[in-house]
Amino acid sequence: MVNGEGAGRDSAPPLVVMDRITKIFPGVVANDEVSLDLRVGEVHALIGENGAGKSTLMQVLYGMYPADGGTIAMNGEEVRITSPRVAIARGIGMVHQHFVLVDPFTVAENVILGDEGSPLLHPEEAEAKVAAIAASYGFQIDPHAPVEELSVGEEQRVEILKALYRGVDILILDEPTAVLTPAETQDLFENLRRLRADGKSIVFISHKLDEVLEIADRITVLRRGKVVGQTRPAETSKAKLAEMMVGRPVLFELEKPVVEAGGPVLELQGLVGGRLHGFDLTVHAGEIVGVAGVEGNGQRDLADAIMGLRPLDAGHILLEGEDLAGETTREIRNAGVGFIPEDRHDQGLVLAMTLWENTVLGRHDDAPFVNKAGVLSIKTIKELSRKLIAMFDVRARSIDVSAGALSGGNQQKLILARELETDPRMLLAAQPTRGLDVGAIEFVWRQILDQKAAGRAVLLISAELDEIYALSDRIVTLYEGRITAEYPPDAPPEEVGRGMLGDVAEKAAS
Amino acid sequence: MSFGDLGFAIQIAFTYYTVIYLTGLGGLFSERSGIVNIGLEGMMIIGTVTGSFGAYYFGAKLGWGVPMGPIMGLLLGMACGALFASIHALATVTFRIDHIVSGVVINLVAVGLARFLSTVFFEGQSTQSNPGQPHMHTIDIPLLHSIPGIGRAFEGLSPFVIVAFLVVIPVWFALNRTRWGLRLRSAGENPEATRSLGVRVAPLRWEGVLLSGAFAGVAGAFLSVEIVNNWREGQTLGLGFIALAALILSNWNPVRLMGAAFLFGFAQAIPLALRDWPIIRSIPEQFVNMAPYVITIVVLAGFVGKVRPPAAAGKAYEGSSGL
Amino acid sequence: MATAPASPPKIALPKSRPEWLENFLGQLGALVLSMLIAIGLGAIIIILYGENPLDVYGAILSFSITANDGPAYVLSIATPLIFSALAISICFKAGLFNIGVEGQFLVGMVTASWAALRLDFLPGPLLMWVVLLFGALGGMAYAAVPAILKVKTGAHEVVTTIMMNGIAISIVAWALNGPLKFTNAPPGQNVDLRTDPFAKNALVPDLGHVFGWGPAPHLSWLLPLALVATAIVWFIVKRMRLGYEARAVGASSGSARAGGISIGAVQIKLFLISGALAGLVGMQQLLGDRGYLPKNYEATLGFTGIAVAFLGQNNPIGIVFAAILWAILARGESGLQIETDMPREFVIILQGILIMSVVITYQLAKRRLARRQVRRAAAEEELVTAAEEAA
Repeated sequence: MVNGEGAGRDSAPPLVVMDRITKIFPGVVANDEVSLDLRVGEVHALIGENGAGKSTLMQVLYGMYPADGGTIAMNGEEVRITSPRVAIARGIGMVHQHFVLVDPFTVAENVILGDEGSPLLHPEEAEAKVAAIAASYGFQIDPHAPVEELSVGEEQRVEILKALYRGVDILILDEPTAVLTPAETQDLFENLRRLRADGKSIVFISHKLDEVLEIADRITVLRRGKVVGQTRPAETSKAKLAEMMVGRPVLFELEKPVVEAGGPVLELQGLVGGRLHGFDLTVHAGEIVGVAGVEGNGQRDLADAIMGLRPLDAGHILLEGEDLAGETTREIRNAGVGFIPEDRHDQGLVLAMTLWENTVLGRHDDAPFVNKAGVLSIKTIKELSRKLIAMFDVRARSIDVSAGALSGGNQQKLILARELETDPRMLLAAQPTRGLDVGAIEFVWRQILDQKAAGRAVLLISAELDEIYALSDRIVTLYEGRITAEYPPDAPPEEVGRGMLGDVAEKAAS
Repeated sequence: MSFGDLGFAIQIAFTYYTVIYLTGLGGLFSERSGIVNIGLEGMMIIGTVTGSFGAYYFGAKLGWGVPMGPIMGLLLGMACGALFASIHALATVTFRIDHIVSGVVINLVAVGLARFLSTVFFEGQSTQSNPGQPHMHTIDIPLLHSIPGIGRAFEGLSPFVIVAFLVVIPVWFALNRTRWGLRLRSAGENPEATRSLGVRVAPLRWEGVLLSGAFAGVAGAFLSVEIVNNWREGQTLGLGFIALAALILSNWNPVRLMGAAFLFGFAQAIPLALRDWPIIRSIPEQFVNMAPYVITIVVLAGFVGKVRPPAAAGKAYEGSSGL
Repeated sequence: MATAPASPPKIALPKSRPEWLENFLGQLGALVLSMLIAIGLGAIIIILYGENPLDVYGAILSFSITANDGPAYVLSIATPLIFSALAISICFKAGLFNIGVEGQFLVGMVTASWAALRLDFLPGPLLMWVVLLFGALGGMAYAAVPAILKVKTGAHEVVTTIMMNGIAISIVAWALNGPLKFTNAPPGQNVDLRTDPFAKNALVPDLGHVFGWGPAPHLSWLLPLALVATAIVWFIVKRMRLGYEARAVGASSGSARAGGISIGAVQIKLFLISGALAGLVGMQQLLGDRGYLPKNYEATLGFTGIAVAFLGQNNPIGIVFAAILWAILARGESGLQIETDMPREFVIILQGILIMSVVITYQLAKRRLARRQVRRAAAEEELVTAAEEAA
């Protein structure tokens, strides 16, 4: 499979030309005179850091936002795309990063929503139509199934079907592989190649450089709202792309400190509950254990169970020998467990509260922040927060700003500062760099490595293999609620990928 | 204790079923479109006062008599309920105010507004309507009402009760077999999905809320026109909230709502018809009066964990305002 | 511990107002705007009715403020509303809707009446304090029921508290018919259903005479007690751990849980405090106005408290002013009837418009302020990052 196939029939005029598009949000220029063109039968990758403007640009193309400057032309004619409806009518379809499917509805209902064809619904006809389209592109899907019963890969197929049902020629995919296993990613690429051969134009937004180099015909790089380069896979490399994305040479690997692993700090035995079906793992002092796995295999339940946020049906959690069963979240935190949650808005910070109020969340019932009568010592709390935001480089004008006003990176730094300040024996970090730009990612990784250097135990749960590799001393794969295999930190990614799919004989984790 | 008593209780249950079911249906349309509506009581109140006025004005004052007078009352109650509900729609859909806050304010405003309207409608009286308000001739269900004892349940019913039993058919059809119903439900489960396919969420939610006002309004009108035969302040007795409980119990399903509404309707009947029954006889009368409220609490406490509200109900849809 | 990164380059950020000032100005602006809207809409209705807005508003104000005992009446009406609104607002901090203040205050009146009648052997002022305590305890106990139901079963407090309100009406009726029944009816006289009169030392002394007002308005020492309660509620919410936890739960219950806060414990504590405050709502009429519990007690104070709480934006200081404003309108209602042809029910409409306009304007203002904060923080971060890159 050569990348060049169908890549830009250079002689044909471009299908879509976005010329000097500018889009401004309050306080941020998301797109600054960005120009991009799409050709018939190509996969065009759009890459950049978080916040570079790639999603925004495509949302403008899809009519979700009006551009503040610039023009869009299709087939040579200038067009104004004022809503997703107009975009769809013009043959542009978009598959969002976070799926927008109605869970209780069937596949067919989700596909036809908005284009039902008549005021009265005819379920059998609709399902037949959807089945036909799916078959013509080689997609496997059951139109009668309720979406809530589908796997993530199947859900993505429904999203793509939504676009194909409407006869789109241009398909925009926003971070499509974020939630797929390596094997599902290959399935997706197969489908994309088939669509490309059929003459469709595909925009592939991603920050995963390996995949981009594999599937794209052309690559456009955005940085801080501007185009900084356009190239082809044959003419570039991962390092060059990364440098373009960030503006400076990027370290893909930080120095991993060498530490002698100590005794067991966290022992998880036979955890059963929610999506966990018998999870066993031990984390030792001075080691980072990376739990690799695609979202939806029990990561959230694992983190919640350890922190006492969800009950377990069976199993034991031991912290340096003490059984944490039945303990409240507060007791678990007091016992020395720090928590970087995967969702910093729903489990990390109270966005409506100020920065200083957030610094003490989790320790607000300890002296010296509170006296015996329950009265807060605001002075002490504010002193702590000033110290922490300086130490962790949290960029905020004052500690009275509300946490919701901070950028994602600063919010994550605030959470880190708060959790690490307590010197926890054990740090649980779940998707700690999701949605962060490269600078913030480096910072967070450095902090986690420092924890290991200080002899603490770290349990890292991540869906990003880059991160797992950068930090872990041991890698384990999580699939359907249990550990499927363990790997050394130099294991090839394909093997780890198989573990993530459960494609191995079960091995007991040490 | 007699079957006649039980029949009487069931008859009363049918009438309160009508009020609770229709109000509950209103709540169903609103909530399945994504807007929590605890202002049903207020919308009912507007329905009671305007319905009473309609029946009185058209039936007695203009001399249209029966059944046109009461029917006009019901229609007026429905229209005014919907009009009043537009305040809730404006607050929650356009201004994205917290749904429960808006509902609470709606209930407060409704009481005052009803008094104000009463002084306008009923010559200065602020808490009750004029005498001489007509109501529809009652009917007896053929065959069923001849059953000895229980047959009492099927005598002397307002014809509108039949409507309340049949309305489930068009409602179910509209929700599940029309394009509009599919879109309405998607707005309540995942408005982002709806919007991303080019369907505007706000108009759907407006429609859901206005429908809830219409249903609650006609239910209130039925209460004041057909059951009590005049308007009095406070006659809604918390039925709007009981309808909410019935809605939760029914898992937001129009067919199951019928059963839930009948259950709560029967609870209303207990203090009215079954006072002389064993056990009930020995409880002080004020405690018997509590029966509907206690039953509601017990049901709510027992069943809440097992139901699944529309996923997006109560959350403001942060698309562009009004879109 | 963490290694400190290089500190960011010092650059001059544009000067802007501190957060607290921004918030204050924003709220003030919203308040003024909402008042103007309400007055304006009210004026339109008055004109449509055929009256002169100046006459109508003038009548309301003169009767309540410049009339002889006007202010005393206003403050006396405001007293129970302050307790009621405080009860609502403290729950609302955590996102709980205690609509049951209505029922809790009724039960508080029953328990207080019982204490006043059966514990009258207690000496002097002690009886009064004990009666007040029983009022608070009654409300607290009654509030415990929906609180426990919410925490244990998840039953939504809006519906359960309203049902409890309905039950409370029956409880009062039962008490008046049974255990607390009036026993000393003079022979041959038909007396309304009520309790016996309370002993003198159970009552709360009059405050009005201190300011030169007559005894008719029944302005009592419950007003200073209400102000003390306001200060206490403020302190709890702003300066105590319970208030902190309540605000965290109300703003983001997931983050609060992950931070170790026990949501159920917070909810129950708030409901209990709320119930205690609600129990004191009825004390003005019980111990200040009447001296016994009548069948035709003044109800709806719980619902009015909700209105006052929203009008005061659930903020203790705001609540006091809102209660006074509401009382001015309520007292002025009588003035309307006497001095104009406008029906007194117009005041109710005006009150409704006022609440709606305050709730909506404040929401919009809050959102605008939040967007401004995000904008400013993002712009500042841009400046800092650009400076770093240049360095």
